[in-house]
Amino acid sequence: MILPVATPRATRAWVGRDLRGRRLETALALLTGMIAAAASIAPAYALGLLVDRISAGGDTGAIVPIAVVIVIAAAVGGAATGLAGFLIGRLGSRILADLRESTVATALRLPPLVLDRAGRGDLLSRVSADIAAIDRAVKEVLPGMISAILLAGLTLIAMAGIDWRLGLAGAVAVPLYVIALRWYLPRAAPSYAEERVAVAARSQLFVEGMQGLPTVHAYRLEDRQLDGITAASGRARDISINVFGFYTRFVGRINRAELAGLGAVLVAGFLLVRGNLVSVGEVSAAALLFHRLFGPVTLLMATFDRAQDAGASLARLVGVLGMDIERRTTVTAPAGRDLALDDVTFAYGSEPVLSGVSLRVGPGERVALVGSTGAGKTTAASLAAGILKPSQGYVTVGGVPVAELPPQTIAIVSQETHVFAGPLAEDLRLARPTASDDEVAEALKRVGALGWALALPDGIGTVVGDGGHQLTASQAQQLALARVVLQDPPVVVLDEATAEAGSEGARDLEHAATAALEGRTALLVAHRLTQAASADRVIVMEHGKIVEDGPHADLVAAGGRYAQLWTAWSSRA
Amino acid sequence: MFRQTRQGTAILRRAVARNGKHLWTGTALAGLYQLCAALVPVLIGVIVDRAVGRGDWGALATWIGVLVLVYLVLALSYRFGARHLQRAIAEEGHQLRVEVAAKILHPRGLRTDQRSGDLLTVTTTDAEYTSYFLDHIPRITSSFIAASVSAVTLLVISRPLGLIVLIATPIVLATLNLTAPLIARRVAEQQNQAGKATSLATDLVTGLRPLRGIEGQDAAAERYRTVSRRSLAATVRASRTQNAYQGVSSMLSMLLAGGIAITAGWFALTGRITIGQFITVIGSAQFLIEPFGVLAVVPSWVATARASADRVAAVTQAGHLLGKGTKTFSSTAYELRLDAVSHGPLRGLDLHVRPGEFVGVVAHRPADAEALVRLLAVPETYDGEILLNGERLETVDRDEARRRLHVEPHQTDLFTGTLAANIDLRGGDRLDDALRAAAVDFHEEGLGALVTERGTNLSGGQRQRLALARALHARPPLLVLHHPTTAVDAVTEQSIADGIRELRRGPSYATVVITSSPALLAAADRVVVIGDGAVTAEGRHADLSENDETYRRAVLR
Repeated sequence: MILPVATPRATRAWVGRDLRGRRLETALALLTGMIAAAASIAPAYALGLLVDRISAGGDTGAIVPIAVVIVIAAAVGGAATGLAGFLIGRLGSRILADLRESTVATALRLPPLVLDRAGRGDLLSRVSADIAAIDRAVKEVLPGMISAILLAGLTLIAMAGIDWRLGLAGAVAVPLYVIALRWYLPRAAPSYAEERVAVAARSQLFVEGMQGLPTVHAYRLEDRQLDGITAASGRARDISINVFGFYTRFVGRINRAELAGLGAVLVAGFLLVRGNLVSVGEVSAAALLFHRLFGPVTLLMATFDRAQDAGASLARLVGVLGMDIERRTTVTAPAGRDLALDDVTFAYGSEPVLSGVSLRVGPGERVALVGSTGAGKTTAASLAAGILKPSQGYVTVGGVPVAELPPQTIAIVSQETHVFAGPLAEDLRLARPTASDDEVAEALKRVGALGWALALPDGIGTVVGDGGHQLTASQAQQLALARVVLQDPPVVVLDEATAEAGSEGARDLEHAATAALEGRTALLVAHRLTQAASADRVIVMEHGKIVEDGPHADLVAAGGRYAQLWTAWSSRA
Repeated sequence: MFRQTRQGTAILRRAVARNGKHLWTGTALAGLYQLCAALVPVLIGVIVDRAVGRGDWGALATWIGVLVLVYLVLALSYRFGARHLQRAIAEEGHQLRVEVAAKILHPRGLRTDQRSGDLLTVTTTDAEYTSYFLDHIPRITSSFIAASVSAVTLLVISRPLGLIVLIATPIVLATLNLTAPLIARRVAEQQNQAGKATSLATDLVTGLRPLRGIEGQDAAAERYRTVSRRSLAATVRASRTQNAYQGVSSMLSMLLAGGIAITAGWFALTGRITIGQFITVIGSAQFLIEPFGVLAVVPSWVATARASADRVAAVTQAGHLLGKGTKTFSSTAYELRLDAVSHGPLRGLDLHVRPGEFVGVVAHRPADAEALVRLLAVPETYDGEILLNGERLETVDRDEARRRLHVEPHQTDLFTGTLAANIDLRGGDRLDDALRAAAVDFHEEGLGALVTERGTNLSGGQRQRLALARALHARPPLLVLHHPTTAVDAVTEQSIADGIRELRRGPSYATVVITSSPALLAAADRVVVIGDGAVTAEGRHADLSENDETYRRAVLR
C-alpha cells in the first residue's frame, strides 16, 4: 500500500478552490501582469509608427509623441513588472504555505497503522522533497511562466491588431512550439527520473561511506567503497550528459519554431506591404515584437518540465490532504483511572497474536508484562495505548473505551526514541507547550536528567537532535520519560523503554521510569526482570495468552514459568 | 587564508587544463552561437529595409535565405557546443567528487575539523559548483563576442550612437549591480528559512511514533505552522527586494533601449541614417542588454565557484592523521601489549593480551573505554607504547594492522546490499558459524533481504547482532569488541557469550570484550578493570564479583 496521489482533476479542483478564496488577490496579480506586458509592447509599436514617419519624410517634431510614449511605457512597465512579479510570487507562496501546513498537520494525525503499511519514507519525501520542489517552482518558475504567457498572448493580439494576417503568421510558431514540447517532455521525464535515481544512489553511497567510516576502515573496505562511489558517480555523469543531449535537441526545435514564425511574419509583411494593406513601419513593429518574445518563450518552454514536476508533487500533497485522520468522535470522561483489557483478541491478517486476553491495572498500580519474544507483549501494550484496535473485546480506562477518552489520558513510551531537533526545552514542550523553564527543569530532575542537561553547552537551551548536540541512547530515553512527566497523564504504557541503554544506563533508566510512573496507572513491558521484580504485579504471557498473574514474590514461590525465568536471570548476575 | 585562496585557484586552473578539449571547442561554438543570435535583429532590419520596404522579391528570397542559414548555424553550434561544455562540466564534477571521496576514505585518516555533514556538502555541492566554473568561461566569452558585435554594428551605423550605447549600458548595469549583495542576503535568508521548515517537517514525521505517544501532534503542527509562517514572511521579503530590483532594472533597460531608439529615430528623421539602419539599431540595442547583463553578474558567479574550490582544496590538500607504517608480519599468533599508555582520559594504561586469550574489560568511565577503542583503531599521538607482536602499532602498515587487529565500532553502520553481504563483508566460508555464535536468527530468505535506509528498518538489537556476526566472521587474529550486547536480552546474551567463546577458541585467536555484561565477563579467561584511566583490578569474574564491592556494583544487575 502506498499513500494516495490525487487525480489531476482533484488537484485542479483543489487549486481552483483555493484561488476562488483569493479572488481579489488573483485578479490584481493578473491585471498588473497584463499592464506590465502591455507596457513592454507599447514602445515597439510606437517605434513602428516612427518608421512610417521616417519613410514619409516627416519633420523632426514627430519624435516627440513617440519619445513620450516610450518614457511613460518604461516607467509604467518597470513598476508593473516589479509589482506583478511580487504579487504572483506572493500569491503562490501563500497558497503553498497553507498547503504545506495542512499537509504536515494531516500527516501528523494519520493513524499509525496506515503509516506502518505505507512506510514512512513516502510520507517523509512528501513533507520534505515535494514541498521543497513546489517551493522552488513557485519562486523560480511560476512568475516567469505567467509573465511569458501574458506577454506572448498580448504580443500576438497586438500583431493581429496591426493586421490579422500578421498575427496569424506569428501564430505559425505556436504549433511548432507545441510539437517541440510534445517531443521533449515524454523523453525528458523518464530521463530526469533516471538521473534523480542515479544521483540518489550516489549520495547514498557517499552518506554511508562517510557516516560508516569507522566500519569502512575496520574492514578495509575503502577501495571497495570508492569503487562503488566512482561507478555511481560515473553513471550519474553519463545520464546527465545523455539527458542534456535531449535538451539541446529540444532547443533546436524551439529555434525552428522561432525561425518559422519570424520568416512567416516577414514574408506576410512583404506581401501585405506590396498589397498596400499595411505600412513598412507596421511590419517592422510586428517583427520586433515577435523577436522580443524569443527569450521569455524559451524560458517558458525550458521550465515546463519543472512546472510539470511541481504539478506531480502537488498531486502527492493533495493526495495526503484527502486521507482520513484519527479523530475522536465522542469524548466521555472516565469514571476512574483503572486500565482494563476485556477478553481482547487481535490478529495481523489471519494470524492471531492475542487471543482472549483480559487484564486489569488498578488505579496507581504498576503492572509488568513479561514473556519471551513473540509472546504478544508489545501488541498488548499497543492495544492498551489505543494504537491498535482490538479485533474483539474492549480496552477501557475507567470504563470508557480508549478511542473515546479525553485527550492526554494515556501516554505510551515505546522503544523507538526520537530526540526532536531544536533546543532541549522545546523538545519537552511538545508534551506541554505552555510549560515554563522551571517546570521543564523539574521534569528533567524527576527522571534524573537535570544533571547532564545542565552540563550541556547551553543547558536546557542546547540544540539537540539532528544537526545539534548528539545525546546517547539512554539520555534520549530519559527525555522520553521526562516528556511523560511534563504531560502528566493518569495512565502510562511503557514498552521496552530500557532495552537499548546497556547495563549501566539501564539501572539509571529503571530509576527514571519508576520516578516518572509514580502515582500513575502503569502497564510496562519488562525486558529486564529487575523491572518486573519492583512492579506491584507481574503478568506472564506466552503465545498470545496470559499464563501467570501475581506479585513477584508469589510467582517466584509458585515455581511456574516466571520462577524459571527469574532463576535463569538471577543466576547470571 | 591566502594559502587557501591560492589552493582554490589552483583547483580551478586544473579544471580548465584537464578539460581543455571539450571546454575550448564548446566555448568556440558557444561564441559562434552568440554571434548568430546577435545577427538575427540585424537581419530583421535588413529584410524590412531591403525587401519589405522596396517590394523586392529577389532581395526577400536572398535575405530570408541568409536568415535560414544563420539559424542553421545557430542551432548546430548551440547543440554541439552545449554538449561539449556539458561533458566537460559533468566530467570535472565527477572527478572532483571521486578525489574528495578518496581523500576522506583514505585508511590513514583525514586531518580535518569538519563534521561529516560538512564533508558531505563538499563532495556534492562544492564539487558541483566548482565544476560550474567551466560553464562561466564560455558565457563570459560569448557575452564579450555578442556585446562586441552589437557595439561594432552600432559604431558602423553611427559613431555617436555607438558611443552612447557603449558608455551608458555599463553605467546602468553597474548601478543595478550595487543592490546585488542585498538581494543575495535576502535570498539566502529565505532559503535558510525554507530549509528550516523542511527539516522541521522531516524531524516531526520521523518522530511521529513518540510524538503520538504523548499526544504532541497538535503542539507539533502548531510549531510547524510558526516556522512555515516565518518562511513565508522571509519569502515575501526576498520577493519584494528581488522584484523591486526587477522593476527598476526593466525600467532602466527600457529607458536605455528607448533612449537609443529615440536618438536613432531623430538621426533617421534628420537623414543621418537610413530606415533599415534605424530598425537594426533598435534590434541591436535591445539585444545588447543581455550580454552586458551577463558580464555584470559574472564576478559573483566566479566568486561562488572559487569559494567552493577553496573548500574542495581544504579537503584534498589536508594531511593524514597517521603516518605511513611499513612493518608487516608473517606470524600465525598475535599478541597485543599496551605499556603505560596515556591518551585523553587514559593515564598509564597497561594491558596485555596473549595469543588464545579471551579478555574482558570493564571500564568504570565510558570515556576510558572509548579512548582505548579509538586508540587501537587510530593509533595517533599517545604516550607509552602500543605493541602489536612487538612492533609499535603506528609503524605497522595500515592494511596489515587492520587485518591482524580488528576493532569493531560500537555504532553499527550498514551498507547498501543484502543482509548477507553486510555480514560477509570480505567474503569467506562458514558464515553459519558466525551467525549462530552471534545469535542472528534470520532464516535463509531473511538474509537475502536488502538493507534499506542504512538499516533503519532493523531494530537496535538486530543491528547489534549483525555487527557481531560480521566481526566474528572476519576471523581476525585479534578482535576487540566494544559493548557488543547492550541491545540484546539476557537469554540471547548468554548464548552470545558461549558462542564467542566457542568460535574464538584456539591459540590463533585473541579476543578483547569491553563490556559490563556478567554473561560475557564470566565467559572471559580474565577480566581487567579500568578506573580513572588505569588498571585498578584484575582477575577472574567469579573472584572479582565475590571480593570486590565496586566491581560487583558495576557489573551485577
